[in-house]
Amino acid sequence: MKDIVIIGGGPSGMAAAVRLAEKGYDVAIIERKEELGGILDQCIHDGFGTKIFGVALSGPEFAGEFIEQVQKLGIDVYLKTYVKSVEASGKVKEIITVSPDGVEIIKTKSIVYAIGCRERHQFEIKIGGTRPAGVYTAGMVQRLVNLYGILPGKNVVIVGGGDVGMIVARHLYLEGVDSILVVFPEEFFAGLPRNVQQCILDFGIPYRPRTVVKEIVGKDRVEGVILVQVDEKWNPISGTEEFYPCDAVILSVGLVPYTKKLTDIGAEIDPRTKGPIVNEFFETTVRGVFAAGNLVQIFDYVDDAVESAYLAAEGVEKYLRGEERLERPIFINPGENVRTLTPHRVEWKDERPITAFMRPAIEGKAWIIVRNERGEILEKSFRRYVRPSTLERIEISRDILENAEEVFIDVRGL
Amino acid sequence: MGLKFKIEKVLKKFPYNISFEIRDNIVFLYGEVESYQDWVEIGLAVGKIKGVEGVVNKIKWKGYPEEKIRKREERRRKLYEENKDKIIGEYDVVIIGGGVIGTIIARELSKYKLKIALLEKGSDVSLGASKANNGMIHPGVAPPKNTLKRKLNVKGNAMYDRLCEELGVRFKRVGSLWLITPRTLQKYRKYLPGPLYKFVSAYVFPYIVKLKGIRNGVKGIKVIRGKKIFEYEPKATRDAWAALYVPSTGILDPYELVVALAENAQANGVEIHLNTEVVGFIKKEDKVKGVVTTKGTFLTRYVVNAAGVYADEIAELAGAREYTIHPRKGVILLFDKALKDWVRHCVTELRFPAPKHSKGGGINPSIHGNILWGPTAVEIPDKDDTSVHREEIYEVLERYKNILPEFPTNKLIRYFAGVRAPTFTEAFIIRPAKWVRNFLHVAGIQSPGLASAPAIAEYAIEQLKKMGLKLEPNPNFNPRREPIPTINEMSLEELNAKIKEDPRWGNIICPCEMVSEMEIVEAIKRGAKTLDAIKRRTRAGMGTCQGSYCTLKIAEILSRELGVPLSEIVKENNGKLFDGTVRGEKL
Repeated sequence: MKDIVIIGGGPSGMAAAVRLAEKGYDVAIIERKEELGGILDQCIHDGFGTKIFGVALSGPEFAGEFIEQVQKLGIDVYLKTYVKSVEASGKVKEIITVSPDGVEIIKTKSIVYAIGCRERHQFEIKIGGTRPAGVYTAGMVQRLVNLYGILPGKNVVIVGGGDVGMIVARHLYLEGVDSILVVFPEEFFAGLPRNVQQCILDFGIPYRPRTVVKEIVGKDRVEGVILVQVDEKWNPISGTEEFYPCDAVILSVGLVPYTKKLTDIGAEIDPRTKGPIVNEFFETTVRGVFAAGNLVQIFDYVDDAVESAYLAAEGVEKYLRGEERLERPIFINPGENVRTLTPHRVEWKDERPITAFMRPAIEGKAWIIVRNERGEILEKSFRRYVRPSTLERIEISRDILENAEEVFIDVRGL
Repeated sequence: MGLKFKIEKVLKKFPYNISFEIRDNIVFLYGEVESYQDWVEIGLAVGKIKGVEGVVNKIKWKGYPEEKIRKREERRRKLYEENKDKIIGEYDVVIIGGGVIGTIIARELSKYKLKIALLEKGSDVSLGASKANNGMIHPGVAPPKNTLKRKLNVKGNAMYDRLCEELGVRFKRVGSLWLITPRTLQKYRKYLPGPLYKFVSAYVFPYIVKLKGIRNGVKGIKVIRGKKIFEYEPKATRDAWAALYVPSTGILDPYELVVALAENAQANGVEIHLNTEVVGFIKKEDKVKGVVTTKGTFLTRYVVNAAGVYADEIAELAGAREYTIHPRKGVILLFDKALKDWVRHCVTELRFPAPKHSKGGGINPSIHGNILWGPTAVEIPDKDDTSVHREEIYEVLERYKNILPEFPTNKLIRYFAGVRAPTFTEAFIIRPAKWVRNFLHVAGIQSPGLASAPAIAEYAIEQLKKMGLKLEPNPNFNPRREPIPTINEMSLEELNAKIKEDPRWGNIICPCEMVSEMEIVEAIKRGAKTLDAIKRRTRAGMGTCQGSYCTLKIAEILSRELGVPLSEIVKENNGKLFDGTVRGEKL
């Protein structure tokens, strides 16, 4: 029996595996693809690892650092292996896998799910019109261009002003498509300012804020889109519809934790993050089952996803050592101006402060406040600039939680 | 003449100058109207007249796409000239249309010693209404009595168990549950004061519906009330007063059925020609001698017109125009499998009288565990218009929200539209053409066309027999077709054994639906040549992520198995999956 099985061999999964293997635990990684690295193999742009390694690496380089350590530590890796089902309720957990080698049952004391996220598609944002060839998600395009050497089309419309959309826009520009237009409903790009400069402005790529694709036009292949302007609440302004010819539509409209495998085992989901409900060491509501990386919530940087994996690794250790839990969990709830918040509860006895990741709902100078249900401020920290596109990492002292049943986190603008 | 007078009387109701002629009880309408809607209304009004066997509506509406139609005809003429002398072969029967009707007739005819060709203009079978309906096998309560529709529906429904068993198609009789709520008889509320309204709704109306079902020949209908309703359907709206339970309603995957029918027909000798569009006919006197297509000419003794929305145009090309199809679009929403426990039966809320243009529809489970909402019913001028507008999505969500008030509609993963092929008489037209002796119409097959299909095939063959087709049993006919093994449904032992046979059974390509490489390879071996054809045969790409993970992998397998470059891989028909520059492939 394994001490830990990690499902998913991307950066978070590898990080958790390496951390635990270093401490001498018997670890295995299950990965559905042919090799480790997760989504990073298609991210050939740089900017990975600035926090962890202090240098900007490309995706494959960043993954390479971890792959090397996985190999050095001799961690068991099951490649091309699909997790069919998991029995996770007991102390001994059983994972049924399917691979070209056959069906296998792997027994383990604990599990870390690190299966990442998926891209939202055209139907989730209710784009109307026809359903022809030529509509892709940004990740699919990244793969197509970087790994297969194929361009999706010649005249492309990119939907979404987030980081992935901007990076794909630059990439297609450099690969020589004839025209690009980026549209998004916000007043300005939602992604990181660094990407706006380096991907869009530096290349003069055209974009239209407060604009969305209302319909896709074309029978067998995309022939164009109907663009429409939207107001501050993203409601379409009638009469502003415009046909815009193009042969490809690329959607970069958000990432969603891929939680199907977690709900299968009964883990509870947070409707805000759309990831699992976790405690301060990223344990899900199923005992001994942990989650890490973008499966828990969408992180801005792979470095943060890796940090979540390290926290999960600590949780696994605590679980395996049978460390003491609090009598009752203390709930950490999103308060004013908070879009998402992880973790959701504190369950372990520990000394160290709690690391939380919070996405604010407002932009500007702000205080981040930890308060109790009566409104008494327990702790606060100042931020010179918060914005929804930037995930805030906060630390909450343990001692302030004593006697509390729940605390709230607010963002108060100045 | 009685008919002439009746038509004049009906046309007087419309503020237009409409002229008409009658030929063998077929009415031809001419004139000009303001709107497409009027065009539909006039056609329907004339179609309702007793004694009218078909309406050919040649009226033009404002915005009539004259230029488009002229171009289409020109193109057909050109292709006709190019292909009429290219003889492909001689056949006993040529079937036009690869939907459920065409393929089921082909399969039924393959029981006899006949040389049969089925012609389909698309890149796969089942591309029209057959792929875009909710897969419901209606029980037969709805069609009016004394109609062919009623007879074939009830009979066809009963034939499904055996048909699906033979073809290895998943089929389940889940039953219907029709809710009667305070909204059911809303229109009559003012005539039924106080408690009378509830009494009539809950205690009288259900029995009227039940009686209609019994008279139509539908068995097992039950009226239920109170808590019992929620034993049947735990999440149904709490304000339901009563419900009708109809056990014979079934569900299946319509394209799974059509693919199975086509495969079985093919195994029994039917030639299936895809990407083969009919552009005209070679005629001698009042008989068709050859069917001219974009691939060449099929000489034939009999023609079956099962061309769905295009049946009227095909009939016209053959000189057998007896009806006009007025396309009616239906939008369906599809929800994630995660919600599979939300509904057990095909559920709807009865409304009497039915609101205009929203006939039928409701919420039902799919055979694979998704939930479907819809369809709508909208008259549209363009037969190929399967677009779904955002307003239509909201309309469906609004219309059925009363049935399951708590349903998590944010788990919507896809929407699509199909175009029904009604004629103005709104009847199934299954009869020999009046003016072309060897041409059989199987037209106007709209809901409950899928449910009726097995009976339609038998009925159509009776007609062909009457037309002189000799039916000698085919001693080699094999009714059975083996489905592609589905690893998702195998036990661990079975799956392990399969993987030992070939490791590709263990290589998962589509994680959402757990589809292996070998299932995809098997679909390609059986004739799938496009991404969507694979999707329909294996479900790869039909899950939560809608193919954003597996599309490229499937394209790669298609490219390898078909021996064509990745850049040539097609989604459906002529739609290339990728349309940009390819590095290294064609330098």
